[in-house]
Amino acid sequence: MTATDSTRVAAEPFDPFELKDVVSGNIRDPYPRMRELRLQSPVHVGPVDLGDEEPIPLDPSAIPPVTVFGFDEVVQVLRDNETYSSSVYEGVMGTVMGRTILQMDEPEHRMSRALVSQSFRSKVLERWEEQLVAVVVNELIDSFIARGHADLVREVTFNYPAQVIAHILGLPRADYPRFQRWAIELTSLAANWDRGMAASAALRVYFCAVMEERRSVPGDDLISDLVRVEVEGERLEDEEICSFLRLLLPAGVETTYRATGNLLLGLLGDRPQFDALYHDRSLYAQAFEESLRWEPPVTVILRRATRDTELAGVPISAGADVALLLGAANRDERKYVDPDRYDMFREVRQHVGFGFGVHVCLGMHLARMESRVAINTLFDRLGPFTLDPEAEVPHIEGMAFRSPLSLPVVFQAP
Amino acid sequence: MSEHMDVKIDWDRCMGSGNCVFWAPGTFDLSEDGHAVVTDVGATDEDRLRIAAEGCPVGAISLWRDGREVALNEKEE
Ligand code: HEM
Ligand code: SF4
Repeated sequence: MTATDSTRVAAEPFDPFELKDVVSGNIRDPYPRMRELRLQSPVHVGPVDLGDEEPIPLDPSAIPPVTVFGFDEVVQVLRDNETYSSSVYEGVMGTVMGRTILQMDEPEHRMSRALVSQSFRSKVLERWEEQLVAVVVNELIDSFIARGHADLVREVTFNYPAQVIAHILGLPRADYPRFQRWAIELTSLAANWDRGMAASAALRVYFCAVMEERRSVPGDDLISDLVRVEVEGERLEDEEICSFLRLLLPAGVETTYRATGNLLLGLLGDRPQFDALYHDRSLYAQAFEESLRWEPPVTVILRRATRDTELAGVPISAGADVALLLGAANRDERKYVDPDRYDMFREVRQHVGFGFGVHVCLGMHLARMESRVAINTLFDRLGPFTLDPEAEVPHIEGMAFRSPLSLPVVFQAP
Repeated sequence: MSEHMDVKIDWDRCMGSGNCVFWAPGTFDLSEDGHAVVTDVGATDEDRLRIAAEGCPVGAISLWRDGREVALNEKEE
């Protein structure tokens, strides 16, 4: 598909689930195999068989890749950003998104991140909470509430993060459908490279035009913030802003949609925990963080060794690509009791679902807030909803990205 | 309990993630220049302080009692 095609198609309504086969793998439970491999060793050198048809994307370089399965080992790598560089993302991500903080090392990363991070602080985000996220979610609920049943993935979680980002960027409403389509096409790039690249090119042109506009007529939105921001005399170049905005789609839309679905599935699968949160919303933080431990939507991130080193006694060669299995680390039996269970009341709250170290998720406060508002709004509008007994029991699937593809529920709106 | 706890933040390490503020908003805040500051140690119970310290992505938070550093990273009981 060419850029022109994608612009045209984008204006038409579409069923997002036509793309379902390309937005995730279909592995249901990779965790027993990961456990097996972790018990052999928390660190493996050379290819590993995780039972997936598409292996984790590693450069087929001469240096054997490394895969890390243990919690402490993943944390050790993420805290040592000198030995383990983020430049590994230059290849694919750099080509698609342009140069972003994701692929930068220190000290460049720190400076660049400081410029964008002001807009992602929880205090700054408060302004979006009521007038924006709640409005978006309420609108989605309006469209099905009379029906008494709904698929919460198709009708809520899949849609709201892209709309929230579109609002935060101050994009005109008429542009939402194509924006969401570009977002999906960009994120499913691994499945369809040409279509993803076309979406990326289209987004670049689109964002650059919006940026020009905001320079002359600033508004109360993220793009206006980014063209104005200044830290210690440094400002963001246009190209940097364009790249960063494109990064927000795969980083901020798909992750949040999947995370909200995983939390809902964890709750719906365990009624006492659902009821506990329903009646005491102050449990939200631990309920959400536990869902990110149990089923992180992003299960793997990458680094590249800058020098010969050793991890858990396993030698690693300079230049080796290192895959950090966040999902495996989050279920390390050396750290968590009964790690496969979703349990919001467990003792240990620390997890690596948002990554760790200097590249820890920039959007974590936004993601936490979005998901909290979505869950609260669902509770308030639908009452204590339950899984639809007539429908197939939903499950989480995928490999690099994981979440349920549907969440059929029934309810009696209060 | 918490009266005896002391919290230190290593500003050379802190990268302003705000994660400590999320777990213990009564105790931590972010300054204008994006560093965490301790506002009130006693405002958060010890368990939460520990979660905040363990969750710091760059290990900038240390907890102290009677002049001795409290070990973090405990495993689940
Ligand atoms: C629950 C939802 C989310 C999850 C699970 C998640 C996960 C992650 C992870 C694991 C990383 C680390 C990548 C690495 O170190 O290689 C990361 C980084 C990042 N995330 Fe998120 N994310 C989420 C939501 C968001 C949102 C809503 C945004 C923004 C709108 C966002 C923006 C970013 C950015 C810009 C980075 C790069 C930070 C850096 O390199 O310094 N994320 N995220
Ligand atoms: S969690 Fe750590 S890095 Fe983040 S603001 Fe607090 S002290 Fe700083």
